Amino acid sequence: MPVVKFWDGAEMITVDDRPMPWHAGMCVADLLAGLPDGHLYAVVKMDGRLIGRPRFAGTQVPDGARIDLIPMIAGG
Amino acid sequence: MVAPKPISLKALNYQRPETHRGYTDHFLDIDLSVPTIAIGTIDTKIKQTFIGGKGFDLWLLWQAVSGQTRWNDPQNAICIASGPMGGTPSFPGSGKSIVTAISPLTGSVIDSNVGGYFGPYLKFSGFDALRITGKSAGDTVIFIDGVAGKIEILSMTGLPSDAYALSDMLSQHFAADKKTGVSVVSSGPGAANTRIGCLNFSWYDNGRGRVRYKQAGRGGIGTVFADKGLKAVVARWEQVSLKTNRPADLEAVRAVAKRYAREIVELDPKQNEMARIGTTHLVPIMNDFDLLPTNNFQYGSHPAAALIGREAFEKLFDPGFDGCWKGCTVACAHGVRDFVPFTGAYKGCKVFVDGPEYETIAGCGSNLGIFDPFTILEMNFYCDTYGLDTISVGTAIAFAMECFERGLINRDHTGGMDLSFGNRLNALELVHQMAAGTGFGTIVGQGVRRMKAIFAERFGADPAMLKDIGMESKGLEFSEYMTKESLAQQGGYGLALKGPQHDEAWLIFLDMVHNFMPTFEQKAEALHWFPMVRTWFGLCGLCKLPWNDIVPEDNKATPEPAKVMKHVGWYADYYTAVTGNNATPEDLITMSETVYNYQRIFSLKMGYGTREHDTLPYRAVGPVTVEEYESRQERYDRQLTETHQVDIAGKDTPWKVAALRSRREARYETLKDAVYKRRGWTDRGIPTVATVKRLGIDFPDVLAVLAENGVT
Ligand code: SF4
Repeated sequence: MPVVKFWDGAEMITVDDRPMPWHAGMCVADLLAGLPDGHLYAVVKMDGRLIGRPRFAGTQVPDGARIDLIPMIAGG
Repeated sequence: MVAPKPISLKALNYQRPETHRGYTDHFLDIDLSVPTIAIGTIDTKIKQTFIGGKGFDLWLLWQAVSGQTRWNDPQNAICIASGPMGGTPSFPGSGKSIVTAISPLTGSVIDSNVGGYFGPYLKFSGFDALRITGKSAGDTVIFIDGVAGKIEILSMTGLPSDAYALSDMLSQHFAADKKTGVSVVSSGPGAANTRIGCLNFSWYDNGRGRVRYKQAGRGGIGTVFADKGLKAVVARWEQVSLKTNRPADLEAVRAVAKRYAREIVELDPKQNEMARIGTTHLVPIMNDFDLLPTNNFQYGSHPAAALIGREAFEKLFDPGFDGCWKGCTVACAHGVRDFVPFTGAYKGCKVFVDGPEYETIAGCGSNLGIFDPFTILEMNFYCDTYGLDTISVGTAIAFAMECFERGLINRDHTGGMDLSFGNRLNALELVHQMAAGTGFGTIVGQGVRRMKAIFAERFGADPAMLKDIGMESKGLEFSEYMTKESLAQQGGYGLALKGPQHDEAWLIFLDMVHNFMPTFEQKAEALHWFPMVRTWFGLCGLCKLPWNDIVPEDNKATPEPAKVMKHVGWYADYYTAVTGNNATPEDLITMSETVYNYQRIFSLKMGYGTREHDTLPYRAVGPVTVEEYESRQERYDRQLTETHQVDIAGKDTPWKVAALRSRREARYETLKDAVYKRRGWTDRGIPTVATVKRLGIDFPDVLAVLAENGVT
């Protein structure tokens, strides 16, 4: 019997509504490093939670995550 | 409850001046002492020079007071104005008012901006601005009825003192059958018993069937209001549409409003979600960047911060449309329904809490070591009810708590209370005491500057330590951002005209996070441009939030993303369309510069407004104590060695604290020099004659103030 593997939607994330590949161990800093303008973002929203740049390197991106890049520049 | 029968003390029937291109060209002048009601005119020169809003307020206030006037003199005036675009429905954030007076905290000019419907209703009733001087015997209500064309000064003995009950009753009494047509300005008992009273500006939330509030919080204007014997000022108006301002180009207003509103509806859900969670998103962000004031601004983060941020309040806020002016699509003015306080007069009752916003969460939460959203809600509710500014309350209690923990004061001084950080019941008890004018609350309610003097003179506390950790400048309590790692924001607070409030400049991200302005000159440029653009909103009756809290998707590709120039361009278009005066983005900056310099010279007239008043407590600049230094030792050691080339080998922490301090204090003084130069001021921080001439404010009385201060 051949093994039938069903794709379960894994290994993709969305960044600002666009699909992007995901890999095991990916952190937010890795994700932004792969974007042409990733250095501009100080805050991202991942699955509804806000994460600031000091936590980019230490925050893992889970498979299937939905990420919005927050252009936070001059609030307050 | 039925309102007490009013007794008319003075009445004036008037022919309502029509609004034309955003202006009525009239102001309402009320002297409570005589009492008199008069209507004044605003001529073209004044309109061109001062634009509206804060500009008109300052012009009216300047005429009312001398340099010797104190906050509780009858001559002190409370001035309230909207602005030419104020009252436009559907252009986001077009319902703001600006209030000014001589402050009981600073002794100088204070301004405070606020939402709610009062400013627009005042204007549509025929008045670009309102000035109230004099004092009444108490329980006085001013009723401005734009529908009937009548103004009355009324005595209404027996009104409730608590702000919610009062506004509810007065809305019912004056609304006829249309409560959305009434806006009430009131304060509360806390305003009378402290120097940190706020004003509540109401609007009627038809969806929820209740009166809602926004606060003109800063600088104790509510205290001035109470001192004048005022219970409330009520404005009544009926229909509001895009046409009510009679703009010069209705179609252009409609087009720019539609564009802006549509962009916000599309982008806010992807960005900060202010329509759902208000400004609570700032809590986790500030915490991540070590900017969330914790335990009286000692630290910038805490592991429990998540308990009081966005994730907590998205569950607590009552869903619904929450714009504090008609059609504001940012709609960030959220509240909590059916909250049950566990202390005070409302203990066990269901109440609605207007808020909290970020400032209240940080001021009455993390800065007090309190990480419980329900305590924050209760402090928010009672501050509003008592007419107290949540920022000053938070910062003042935080200071008292640190003094208690450091043994600078003790239970003998606090009436037996343990004021350790995190003591939520005693924090609440202090709010109740401030309102009642009892116990240790009477001292805390005087604000940080006076607490410092009392703790030193009466309790024997070390004045040097009090000076370093008492978070006030110019007499105003700090709003709730950490500035230690952002020199530009130290300038944003220390060089702000009224004192350390973030509505003039908020540069922390640009400076500390993005490092967009490494040189003193670049920081000085930012401390020119950003305060000017923010000042402009307060001239026009606008809210600053839509400008840069929701950002166009293509903004990042622009040369200076922080300025959000696409929006600034839309504001110039909006101004042009309403007033008929062509304006470019650069013109907006010049409009503000005029008023900004006038306000600086106004401070000078009141005996302030020079370099020595632009100082900061060292806590805002760097680590005061060994614990603060050691909590971020790696950061500070690196700065000493790499930025300042200091050899720290073998040095102990007190030595390093002192070494860092001398350098950071010197940097702040260098920044002052750069900013004064950029603003066209002398090295004492005074506008030069050339500057006032360039801006067209070289009036004889302005030049006389400069001359008295050696500037000719
Ligand atoms: S953005 Fe928020 S505070 Fe500003 S006008 Fe709109 S609802 Fe009011």
